[in-house]
Amino acid sequence: MTTKDPDEPAASRPVPAASRPVPAEAGPRALARRRRRASAARFWARYRTHRSGLFGLGALALFALVALTAPLTVGSGVQSVTDAPGRPMESPSAEFPLGTDQFGRSLLGLVVWGARVSLLVGLLAAVLSVAIGTLIGITAGHFRGWFATLMMRITDWFLVMPTLVLAIVLATVLSRSLGTVVLAIGVTTWPTTARLVRAQTLAVEARPYIERARALGGGHWHVMSRHVLPNVMPLVLAQTTLIISSAILAEATLAFLGLGDPTVVSWGGLLQDAREAGAVSAGKWWYLVPPGLAIAVVALAFTLCGRAVESVLNPRLGVAR
Amino acid sequence: MDAQDQYGTGGAVRRLFLVAGAAALTLTVGLVTPLNPAPQRAEAENGKRVLTVAVAQSVDSLSPFLAARLVSTSIHRLTYEYLTNYDPKDNHAVPGLATAWKPSADKLTWTYTIRDDSTWSDGKRVTAEDAAWTFTTMMTDEGAATANGSFVANFEKVTAPSPTKLVIELKKPQATMAALDVPIVPKHVWEKVGDFSKFNNDKKFPVVGNGPFVLTDYKTDSYVRLKPNKSFWRGAPKFDELVFKYYKDGDAAVAALQKGEVSFVSGLTPAQAAALKSRQDVRVNDAPGRRFYALATNPGARAKNGERFGDGHESLLHQKVRRALFMAVDRRTVVDKVFQGHAVEGEGYIPPRFPEYSWKPGQDQRITYDPAGAARLLDEAGYRKNGDGRRVGKDGKPITYRVLCHATDPQDKAVGQYLKEWFGDLGIGVSLDCRDNVSDPWLAGEYDLAFDGWSVNPDPDFVLSIHTCGALPATPEDTGATDNFICDKKYDALYERQLAEYDATRRADIVKRMESRLYDTGYMNVMAYPNAVEAYRTDQIASITTMPEAAGNIYGQDGYWSWWSATPAASDGSSGGSAQTGVIIGIVAGVVVLAGLGVFFAVRRRATTEDRE
Repeated sequence: MTTKDPDEPAASRPVPAASRPVPAEAGPRALARRRRRASAARFWARYRTHRSGLFGLGALALFALVALTAPLTVGSGVQSVTDAPGRPMESPSAEFPLGTDQFGRSLLGLVVWGARVSLLVGLLAAVLSVAIGTLIGITAGHFRGWFATLMMRITDWFLVMPTLVLAIVLATVLSRSLGTVVLAIGVTTWPTTARLVRAQTLAVEARPYIERARALGGGHWHVMSRHVLPNVMPLVLAQTTLIISSAILAEATLAFLGLGDPTVVSWGGLLQDAREAGAVSAGKWWYLVPPGLAIAVVALAFTLCGRAVESVLNPRLGVAR
Repeated sequence: MDAQDQYGTGGAVRRLFLVAGAAALTLTVGLVTPLNPAPQRAEAENGKRVLTVAVAQSVDSLSPFLAARLVSTSIHRLTYEYLTNYDPKDNHAVPGLATAWKPSADKLTWTYTIRDDSTWSDGKRVTAEDAAWTFTTMMTDEGAATANGSFVANFEKVTAPSPTKLVIELKKPQATMAALDVPIVPKHVWEKVGDFSKFNNDKKFPVVGNGPFVLTDYKTDSYVRLKPNKSFWRGAPKFDELVFKYYKDGDAAVAALQKGEVSFVSGLTPAQAAALKSRQDVRVNDAPGRRFYALATNPGARAKNGERFGDGHESLLHQKVRRALFMAVDRRTVVDKVFQGHAVEGEGYIPPRFPEYSWKPGQDQRITYDPAGAARLLDEAGYRKNGDGRRVGKDGKPITYRVLCHATDPQDKAVGQYLKEWFGDLGIGVSLDCRDNVSDPWLAGEYDLAFDGWSVNPDPDFVLSIHTCGALPATPEDTGATDNFICDKKYDALYERQLAEYDATRRADIVKRMESRLYDTGYMNVMAYPNAVEAYRTDQIASITTMPEAAGNIYGQDGYWSWWSATPAASDGSSGGSAQTGVIIGIVAGVVVLAGLGVFFAVRRRATTEDRE
């Protein structure tokens, strides 16, 4: 939140000490910095009261740490099939705490390594999806008229399209790669964001200060980037966090359906390998449960964070803490 | 090419999930609800003994003139009698519709004696006229030649001088005359058909036939139902009904077997086979397969008119490069790790299951796993490493081979991962191009390497013919019978000779020389001969004939022996209902997925909160 909105709901909140009127001698930049710091602190103070949000954040930090340090802890060699240390589908043991996969690779190592791909794809796809949604939402809300109608009909069309089917088609048509998966998820999940952002844009643009900005000569670009965008940013942030979890699930789904790059290790890909190797009917649970749990936990963590962020930014939602 | 795999046992494995984009549906259908909501239990249902076979491959056509897939040709074996059949013990030709056959002195006229005790299921007698009409139709109508046209390409004239005498005149001698795998259809039914290229024989049931079974019902990707032919001349089958039931997911089929919903499942993975072996009421049949599993090299796709097409990598035109790629593949590892012992290490083209034609390279000819030697060969061929350790093609770009793989075949993907590392060590990149339908890039020659597999018949003529120049497409726009665009003069000369050779031993010698030639060219790296891994319930099937009898497969035989000979078990005890670990795991996995879905929908719900009223 870079600019202060005259009607910002924050006005109605208990104002923490740090954001009280500041001494007049500070320059405008210092002022803005201080205000930002203060609002971040306020945000964190309120976020902290959401226990589930904190749990989600903790889980995410843990997974991020595991993913980032994977090259040091397990090393890229864990993906190698020719140097696989174990026999195929060994049950968990001291050497392989989660057993081995069909090639004899350590599943613990693969789940750790797979976190990198799953998180990366989830993040990129969510960013792409939210970027498309924000762009369409703001422009549709700002320009109105036939442009908005067209944009919203396109959005509606994407909204009613079965997301998974569309993503499968895209992933099938394009070449098999991580980029394709990111694209397939990104271009199919943006419509809700677009609708949300458009609604917020309409609300913001109805405020008198936008009219003032226009009267002072602010063009379309100025209004959209300086006044509307900062005001929809909190919403976009919350939306991103929420979309990430569905993007991670979508990535796992596509990989599970065999639409990912088969040589890349990801959680969904591991589930797909397990199914194809007949691990389900053979009762090799250690091949299925760890990646499945990892997907569920990370998706849950992002959702918890997203909901906490959402309720901090919009207290009217009254989400249970 | 596997998409046209004529009798591929592999077809079943390979196209477990044939339907392209419907992988998702496949999954949900397989795991959650069977397509057919009313399951036919294999047990006695109002006293009827039903033999239920789980299949995955879709029927391409029920017309004998069009069907090429294993499941369809198997059904035709059961419903139509062929002139000859193969002995289940040693694959030699035995009487089918014909009781005797002999060539003339000039080798150009074959006379068949047609049996007089075979009747069509509508009561009419089967005569030589039916056979003559079937062959003549295939010779004169292009639509009728779609599936088995290669058998009659060399026929001059087919006549039926009497109801029990069939005479075939040839243009050139043809050694495969006792192995004509062509279903003979009733003339009085089929002469009413207008366009053979469109008629799929799946509208009017029961379908008139004279095999051990009569086709009574069929629903696409749901079931194929057959009734025994009580008047079959060899004796009626012992089950009251035979049903091929569709399970597009391998694990779902295994679960159905464990529950007793189906009597037989083929194409098991090593893990499934190991799990089923421990069950009392299930017998796992792990027999040498009829199929080879190879890595094919694009030799520069071309048509018969000499026109080149496709975009295979130029380096593959060098025999040294192909040999180096051959040397970089550790076939032992493929057998041990990917097939986990359920296969035999590949050598010659024809699997050892057919000992008379199987060939092994000698010690000095054998290409063994030797990465260092492979690197040397690539250096000699002029493909050296650049600063980044990547080998560079003549165009100055690092070499990356596109490997065409069947997305539906887990083995392709697994071997692909090994190739990526083996070739990677040589400095060659690999991009695995896994598709549900490989036909398009394959026929267009747009690949570098490809996973290939064919099932071999007792007579090897067909699998040999697909590598001749004559099998190339006429123009780049046409589709030829060729497997991999191979066209080699030496090989072709040997092919002609074996086809004209009526002496079995001499013909086998020529076939082996062909295999030797194919091996040296390095176009086809036969990595393994996968076993047929299948399982059946012993409380439903008491006995069943494998082919070969000693150690052979049950599904996809060269004949109708397995289903014709199957005897029902005396007591149709209750289905083995003890809670399986697999089921528990399935539930756990299901819960995990549901939890994920729950989160997903919660997110969706939250995300749209503002939109909702």
